[in-house]
Amino acid sequence: MRLRAIEVNNVRRFTAAARVEGITDGLNVLCEPNEFGKSTLFDAVQALFFTPHGSRARDIVALRPHAGGAPEVSVEVETDEGRFVLAKRWLSKPSATVTQDGRLIAQADAAEDWIGALLGGGEGEPSGLVWVRQGMTQFASAAKKDQDAALVARRDLMHAVGEEVETMTGGRRMDHALTRCREELGLYATGKNRTPRKSGPWKAALDRVEILTAERDDLAETARRLHEALDARRRAKRALDELEDPDEVADRQERLKGATEAFDAARRHAEAVEAEARKVEAARISVSNVRGRLETLRAALAERQEATDEASLAAEASAAAAAERDAAQDALDVAEDALEAAKRRVTECETARREAARLQAARDGAERRKELAARIERAEAARRDMESAAAAAKRGPDPEALRELEKLLSEVATAKATRDAAATQVTMSYAAGRDGTVRMGGKPLDDGRAVPVTRHVSLEIEGVGQLDLRPAAGPDDGRVERAEAALRGALDRIGAGTMAEAREASAARTEAERRHGEAKAVLASLAVDGIEPLRAALAAIPEVSEDSDGPDLPEAEAALDDAGTARVAAQAARDAAAERLSDSRTHAARTETALGATQDRRARSEDSVERLGDVTEAQLEEEFGKARAALETAEALHAETAREAPDLAGAEAALARARSVDEKARADIARLRPELATLEERISRGSGDAVEERLAETEAELALAEADLARIAHEVKVLERLEAALEAAKTGSRELLFEPVVRELKPLLHLLWPDAELTWDDGDLLPSALVRKGEAEPVEILSGGTQEQVALLVRLAFARMLAAAGRHAPVILDDALVFTDDDRIEQMFTALHRQAADLQIIVLSCRQRAFRALGGQTLRLAEVSAGDVAR
Amino acid sequence: MPIFRFIHASDLHLGRRFANIPEPPDGNVRGRLMEARHGAIGRIARAARDHGAHHVLLAGDTFDTATPSPAIWRQALAAMGGDRDIHWWILPGNHDNLRDAEPLWERIRAEAPENVHPLTSAEPVVIAEGATLLPCPVAWRSSGTDPSAPLATMPSAEGHLRIGLAHGGITDFTESGESIPPDRDCTARLDYLALGDWHGRMEVSQRVHYSGTPEQDRFKHSRRGVCLAVALEPGAAPQVAEVETGQFLWAEMELALAPRQDAGASLEALLPVEDRRDTLLRVRATGWTGLAEQADLAAAAARHGPEFARFELVTAELGTRYETTDIDEIDRAGALRMAAEALREEAMSDTLSASEREIAGDALARLYGYVREAAS
Repeated sequence: MRLRAIEVNNVRRFTAAARVEGITDGLNVLCEPNEFGKSTLFDAVQALFFTPHGSRARDIVALRPHAGGAPEVSVEVETDEGRFVLAKRWLSKPSATVTQDGRLIAQADAAEDWIGALLGGGEGEPSGLVWVRQGMTQFASAAKKDQDAALVARRDLMHAVGEEVETMTGGRRMDHALTRCREELGLYATGKNRTPRKSGPWKAALDRVEILTAERDDLAETARRLHEALDARRRAKRALDELEDPDEVADRQERLKGATEAFDAARRHAEAVEAEARKVEAARISVSNVRGRLETLRAALAERQEATDEASLAAEASAAAAAERDAAQDALDVAEDALEAAKRRVTECETARREAARLQAARDGAERRKELAARIERAEAARRDMESAAAAAKRGPDPEALRELEKLLSEVATAKATRDAAATQVTMSYAAGRDGTVRMGGKPLDDGRAVPVTRHVSLEIEGVGQLDLRPAAGPDDGRVERAEAALRGALDRIGAGTMAEAREASAARTEAERRHGEAKAVLASLAVDGIEPLRAALAAIPEVSEDSDGPDLPEAEAALDDAGTARVAAQAARDAAAERLSDSRTHAARTETALGATQDRRARSEDSVERLGDVTEAQLEEEFGKARAALETAEALHAETAREAPDLAGAEAALARARSVDEKARADIARLRPELATLEERISRGSGDAVEERLAETEAELALAEADLARIAHEVKVLERLEAALEAAKTGSRELLFEPVVRELKPLLHLLWPDAELTWDDGDLLPSALVRKGEAEPVEILSGGTQEQVALLVRLAFARMLAAAGRHAPVILDDALVFTDDDRIEQMFTALHRQAADLQIIVLSCRQRAFRALGGQTLRLAEVSAGDVAR
Repeated sequence: MPIFRFIHASDLHLGRRFANIPEPPDGNVRGRLMEARHGAIGRIARAARDHGAHHVLLAGDTFDTATPSPAIWRQALAAMGGDRDIHWWILPGNHDNLRDAEPLWERIRAEAPENVHPLTSAEPVVIAEGATLLPCPVAWRSSGTDPSAPLATMPSAEGHLRIGLAHGGITDFTESGESIPPDRDCTARLDYLALGDWHGRMEVSQRVHYSGTPEQDRFKHSRRGVCLAVALEPGAAPQVAEVETGQFLWAEMELALAPRQDAGASLEALLPVEDRRDTLLRVRATGWTGLAEQADLAAAAARHGPEFARFELVTAELGTRYETTDIDEIDRAGALRMAAEALREEAMSDTLSASEREIAGDALARLYGYVREAAS
């Protein structure tokens, strides 16, 4: 769709018809001063496209001029089908028409539908998306009210951009689907967890199922009770019928009467039997008494005889026991003598063994003494050697002192050599055949040997005289003397006259130390703890005569062993004899006691026989025979009477049973009648309440309610799934759908900022930041001019995308660039020209001078002559 | 002996409340169905009069439950007593069996009009000259025995027509002993065996018949209820005529659909034209359709459903073909398309459970509906 002309009449300041025409495909500019009516023109076109002719909305009323009248707007559009004139009139005689070449295509609602179809669906689709309402023209005003209004308008503008993005993502239908889905879901559930809404159908279905379940259970219980009552009544009626049956009643009475009579007869007969039984019992007692007396007599006689026999035997046994006791006493005496003899022999043998042992010890002690004495002697010798060696070892120089002497001696020699080397040398060379000798210091000088002269000496030359030599004092005079003095001092300290003595003394000392060590070792081997313990041990051993005579110890010990064995045997024999004596004594005592007892028994039995009086056994036997005969007679009579007796217990049981049956029947009847009445009433009430019908109905309704609940639960799941799918798709689509926007926007942005990019907010789909030179600036902190430039470029990008999608719509910009500076506006103009290559853009502006550089087709708003109006 | 004529009916189930039928907020289908069951008494009586019969044999389940409300049974007795020339012989069935419905039968015995005869014991009854009725009342809700067994030994006067009256299922010759053997007429020397329990009309053999219920209550039989007008003559085969007594038609129809078939039009073509108000219709849609066709089908069902006493569109056997054109109609691209594709994929998934597939499919259909709604 492309606009070709716009005409307004009775719209705000246009009280007369005014028209813009000659609108071309590309960039069109209507540049007029303020108050010229550009925004009015914008609003009028918007009203034509989006407000039904029957509307009396505030926006429409606001279009009416102060003088009144019905606003009229018409536009001429060109589509693929040709040119059409769309016209609307509001408020008074409202109308809407679509004409083509003067031919009416549609009017009223049909015209509205036609316009709607032309727009592609409704508000915001697509023309509303790319029209920029005048929003910032008064931004520079000093009045705060105006500034706020401009700010709101700017926000609207940015929001519109957001809506465009949303729409490009298919959002309107998406919104509708999501809204409907959530609306329907909201009918059922609420909250994040989708709990059933309180007053919703889901909760109602849940409640209904719960109520019906409870109702069903109640009714089922009632029905069960009714069935129980029916069963109980059936049983009770059957029981009552049986109990009250006349034949049954007569039978019970007859049985009771018969049982009573039988019981009475049986009782009487039983009394007769009992009397006979008492007679039998008396006869039995009589027999028993006679038998007792007879048996007592017989027992007493037998006892007396038995006691007599027993006393005789006991006397014999007592005599034998006394003889045995005496024999045992004799045997014990013999055994005790033998034991005493054995003990004595043992004592003797022990004495002999001790003597033998003592002698053996004495011999051993003498040997030990000898050994110890010899050892002490050797130890004493060693000790003495050690002491003499130790004394010797203290004399003479020790090795250290000797080394010191040797050193001093060496120093003397060195000093002498040094002195002699520096001293005058006298060498005597004897002539051949000489007679005399030259002596120095009384000693002849050897031929050819140089002798140093260190002090005044006299050479005695035989036959010649004496030659005195006085050497001059050398530089080291006195050294030799000091060395010799030191040597002498050292020798003196050790008591040696010469060095040879010193060396001899040192050798003697070393020898003494060696001997001392040897003696010490010998002493240690002989007396580890010293000699005194050896002496003490020697003193402890008594001196005995080695030649004392005595028994041999092994022989003495063997004799002792034999004597011990003999004593043990004697002791055992003695113990056996003692035990025999003890046993025989005990036995004798017992036999004496038994003898006493049997003698007592015999006395008692004789007393018993005497107490029975003079009656004889034969007399008692005769009396017993008579008593037995009387008993047999009584028993026969009793047996005969008892044989004919009826069963009293049986008769009594039969009577009790008959009475019980009768009483139970009466009790049952008394119980069943009211019970039956109660059951009748319960059944009557229950069956009258149509319990089964209501139960069947409730069960069916419950099944329906459960099915309904299942259906709703399924419905909720379906809606939840759909909502989730839509939300997921919406989120997922944003990135995909931003891409063409970004791609379309990029060259436009680069016209103003070579490296700029826009980032987008996922939440509201608005441009969130402008990224320049790598730095992101949130849109809301951008300057007013930059914000409006961004908004316009975004709008142009979307217009291009709409056009590419075959949804061509004119872009109408009403003072869209009021804050943009002169430099930036040039780039914006270039952007507009770039997009105008395949878009229709209509720019409305009051900035005549600034927009002079925009170029494009210039539009004029002109009043329409009466003739044109008529046309 | 003249021809003996009677009406054979069963399973009136008076008092059934049809609570399994959803009651629309502005409807009264349950009440109408209940009323129609009561009205069956009058239509049976009219059938008796029309066929010159003075006896109506009700073969069990006259009442739906053992404890019908007083209004139900009293109104029924009153209706039966309306024409004293017609005798109603009422056999307890399993629903109104002797044991559970003991109070009911006691009261009927005590208070029924003289032309209404409850048959509460298995004893022969001479109901007309030369005609002996051999009733087999059901004693238990579920007895597990052959309810017609007493017929074999039940005596009757020489030369009398022997008419058996029983209630229960018929065996398929398995001789399980739990149901009525189909040759019971032979083994009990019956001239006719009037059976109840089976709600559809069934001729078991020449002399053994189920009348079915006079007023249907389920979709199974797809025809109106009938009673049987029977004429018996000694030595001759029974003459049995079906007399339609049902007010409501319970019908089940299959609507076989194919992709791109106009489902709405197909449904409309299938629907019966007459008596829609007295018709309970269940349409089982089968085959495969696309989303658009399903939406059209649902719309047609929503449009025509209220014309019927009860209308059910069962789509459990109707598969959904997710045509690309349908998905395109949701959107050719973008978020809606993505959502639709995701749901379609789930609906056709091999790995998801049937329940999950169903939810996804329904969600997709709902999305399609929303988009169409937005476009309209």
